[in-house]
Amino acid sequence: MAMQDKSWRDGALQLSTLPLLVIFAAFFVIPLGMTALLSFQGTQYYRLVWTWDLDIWRDVFGQWHYWRIMWRTLVMALVCTALTTVLAVPIAYAMINRLSKWSHHITLLMVFAFLTDAVLKTFGWVLFLDRSGVLNGMLAGLGFGPGAVDVLFSPTATMIGMVYNLLPYTIFTTALSMARIDRDLVLASYDAGATRLRTFFEVTLPLARPGILAGAVLVFVLALGVFLEPKVMGGGTSPMAAELIRQSFETRVNWPLGAALTIVLIVIGALVLAAAGGLAAIRMRRSKA
Amino acid sequence: MKKTNGLSMFSPNRRAFLQGMGATGMAAAGMMPRRARAATSMQYMCWEGYDKPSIIEPFEAAQDVNLSIDLITDSPGGFAKLAAGAWRDFDVVSTDSPWVQRMGPAGIAEFIDDAEFADVYDSFYEQFRAPFGPLQFDGQTTGLPTRWGWVGPTVNTQYDDLDTWRSYDPCFDPAYKDKICVLDWGDWPIMPMALHAGINPYKELDQAELNEIRLVLRALFKNTRAVVADLSVAQKGLMDGSFRTLIGGGTYCTSALRKDGQKHIQSIVPEPKDGLNQGIIWMEASGIVKDPADAAKAKALLKHMTSPEVAVELAWTEATCNLVPSQAAEGLFSDEQKDVLQMDYMWEAWDKSMFHDVAPNIDDMLEIWQQELAAAR
Amino acid sequence: MPSPIIEATGIQKYYGDYRALTDISLSVANGEFLALVGPSGCGKTSLLKILAGFEDLSGGSLTIDGRDMAGVPASARPTRMVFQKLALFPHKTVAENIGFPLKLAKRPAAEIDAAVRHMIELMRLKESYLTRFPHELSGGEQQRVALARSMVSQPPVLLLDEPMSALDAKLKKSLQAELKHLHRHVGTSFVHVTHDLEEAMMLADRICVMRAGQIVQLGAPAEIYYRPADAFVAGFIGDTNLLPARLTPEGAGLRFDCDALDCAAPMLAPGQLAPGLEQGGEALLMIRPEMLRLLAPGETAEATIEGEVAEFFIRGASIQYRVAPSGGGAEIVMDLPGTSVLPAQAGDAVRLGLTLSDIFAVRP
Repeated sequence: MAMQDKSWRDGALQLSTLPLLVIFAAFFVIPLGMTALLSFQGTQYYRLVWTWDLDIWRDVFGQWHYWRIMWRTLVMALVCTALTTVLAVPIAYAMINRLSKWSHHITLLMVFAFLTDAVLKTFGWVLFLDRSGVLNGMLAGLGFGPGAVDVLFSPTATMIGMVYNLLPYTIFTTALSMARIDRDLVLASYDAGATRLRTFFEVTLPLARPGILAGAVLVFVLALGVFLEPKVMGGGTSPMAAELIRQSFETRVNWPLGAALTIVLIVIGALVLAAAGGLAAIRMRRSKA
Repeated sequence: MKKTNGLSMFSPNRRAFLQGMGATGMAAAGMMPRRARAATSMQYMCWEGYDKPSIIEPFEAAQDVNLSIDLITDSPGGFAKLAAGAWRDFDVVSTDSPWVQRMGPAGIAEFIDDAEFADVYDSFYEQFRAPFGPLQFDGQTTGLPTRWGWVGPTVNTQYDDLDTWRSYDPCFDPAYKDKICVLDWGDWPIMPMALHAGINPYKELDQAELNEIRLVLRALFKNTRAVVADLSVAQKGLMDGSFRTLIGGGTYCTSALRKDGQKHIQSIVPEPKDGLNQGIIWMEASGIVKDPADAAKAKALLKHMTSPEVAVELAWTEATCNLVPSQAAEGLFSDEQKDVLQMDYMWEAWDKSMFHDVAPNIDDMLEIWQQELAAAR
Repeated sequence: MPSPIIEATGIQKYYGDYRALTDISLSVANGEFLALVGPSGCGKTSLLKILAGFEDLSGGSLTIDGRDMAGVPASARPTRMVFQKLALFPHKTVAENIGFPLKLAKRPAAEIDAAVRHMIELMRLKESYLTRFPHELSGGEQQRVALARSMVSQPPVLLLDEPMSALDAKLKKSLQAELKHLHRHVGTSFVHVTHDLEEAMMLADRICVMRAGQIVQLGAPAEIYYRPADAFVAGFIGDTNLLPARLTPEGAGLRFDCDALDCAAPMLAPGQLAPGLEQGGEALLMIRPEMLRLLAPGETAEATIEGEVAEFFIRGASIQYRVAPSGGGAEIVMDLPGTSVLPAQAGDAVRLGLTLSDIFAVRP
């Protein structure tokens, strides 16, 4: 017992957590700290100058177009999170409950699609959605006019690509959560007089919430950083934050600016997640009270 | 020129990374890739195309060296990497000529004695002979030209007459709304638009001139269907007529299509406007990075890259075909190859063009680009 | 017999090729407490799920509360289930759990609240539990909440799927008593699945013993205990003595020939025979341990067994002796009323006696 009481003082125990601490520091804290430090420097003739001033931050807060792109990124990420969640819940439900015989096959197909290079899939969408692409070819065959669907190179196409590429995350987390629901709870709901639909809303949905939330957080964070979809499917005319950051680092070779914009994006993401977490906590408390 | 052949754009340095992994693994195993236990090892930073086995392997065999290749995906990025300290590791670099020239002021160039390369200069077209201005710094030579071409309207003559594109006017014509493709290749699409606005972007610009550039970009984005970074997407649109021209592109975008027999696709330069040339000549050069491990072998690699036989290989690669400065190589091209490269047009294009350089106000222009693009939709 | 609330006729259930239930016919009277008993895999849980509507019939018909249940989903049946693992909704409070069936029936909030409070009182739960979540309650309290939830809407039939199997022995005993009390109080019909025959005997009006998808015996507890249909039912509860014997008809009764028993007039009356033994043949003589007594020297009995005490266990109300018969064969089990002075020690030579009318013969 004495050992347990003083576990926090146990040298050997502390030592055993060291590798994790080192990994965490090496791959997360230190790079983030360096990024923060970088944002206080300047550039001259494509070379970093150690100026230690606020010029970059003055620039970041003085330029409306950075904020316009950040705002667009945030809205796109939130819409994408909402769409993937709304789509993933029925898909996961069907996989677990209605198509459980095929769920292994479906999972295998999804994993296969998921592991296929995102670049290839995105270019595949370009060929599919193009004015002279596969979709319009099929629609023309059905009697629609040429170029019936003209969404390629628009924010709609960006969203299609984002939802397509990020949907598996929510499907997997939601399905995992639903699979873990005790079958008896569903039967108990039927037994109490609930229809399937009512049971879905009274039992399945609330109990799958941890998985749905985990998927939503994952998708939101990943959606903030999408790069390929706005560039390839969106036609580059509605750039999002990742493209702005890439331009700053690569094209303008302005590393301090890129670092500052990276931090802005991280802070925006963290604030939204904290707000969502706070709301969820308040709701939880209210439902308990 | 920008070598963004699509996929490598999005997984920056995927191939280089894989090669690096391979090299690390093999080095760990105590062996060298390709050539086991070569006498010398050299580090070569270059664009895709320069790393063709048919170019690299003969050099390695003749000089008993092993070349470790680092592929560039972005010219300024490559320069920034060298300037940040990687110059200590690299021996030779092949990139866009302004960035080779910039190694001079940055203090990371090993200057070349023109006399030592007299035979190379003799094999060049007279336009490229010593002293070759674009690669000079402070009276010294930073590198030798290796490939070139021009930036101007890329035209699919199945849809547009060549004469339509004797100026960039259609870019702003409502009839061409949603038919213009702008290449997302850094400064390349900005420069021709500045020239169209009557401004020479390669000199120091004042606020009024920068504002003119802003207005011309704003007008351009009104007609723009897409800002495309991927060459194959741009080429596909050009062929099916959904893109009538690729702003920021030129021979670099069209030559591979011509190679495949699509001779109705051509690159031209617009007519000079108010005494200002509207075309732009892009050029790649190869230079030696300061303090090479083996100066003699670095010079040998430069001579290898500029030799007529290698020049032909360099002109003819998988993704693009380009002109070379070597006059001696001209005789080695077939008539078909000359046609693909539009050699009959090259000196007309040269005469109606500016020479590409790193513009003094490039960052201002890129910022304007970002702002106008952010506001476009 | 009052009109049955459940009427099952020729029920069949297959899972692929596997026969889970074969020709089950059964009726449950209004207000009756029926226990379904059998070893695991006997089909008792399948039958319960069929009653609840969680499983379809493969054949036969089922009527509950006067309505044919064919095609009627679980949600529309007049039954409520108490689940083995209780199946309380972890995200709902105790009040929400109990009131759930009424909420689904769209009853006014005030009525739901009153009904929930009534159930809380009936189940002897504290009112402060209403706002708690199930995981904040003890196992026994959760049990009561589950019962409350299934009874709040006063269903005609309550189905219980071994709801006490997870509880410790002491808690089980007290809840069994409460369940019995509850049944008498509310007058609902209970169908209770258990693998514990002792529990079934304590609670049920009638017991249905099942094996391999079939009903082996259906009857009142005393009937099951004293007149088992076969050796399986006889051996299903406690330690019982089953002595091999041969029966031959003689006069109005049957003469038995049993090596283990010393008997002057080995005769059984027709009422001491399980079905199928009327014409005699090979049989097992069932002698419940409490039917045997210890004979004093010189004392006589209708039948006797001589042997040596192998071991004994003091079990509170009774003392159990295991006696090795001198003639060989299986150990004989005898339960004597508990006393402070032990009537025999291990190793003692003893004589056991019994009355012939306490014997019941079953087919081997």
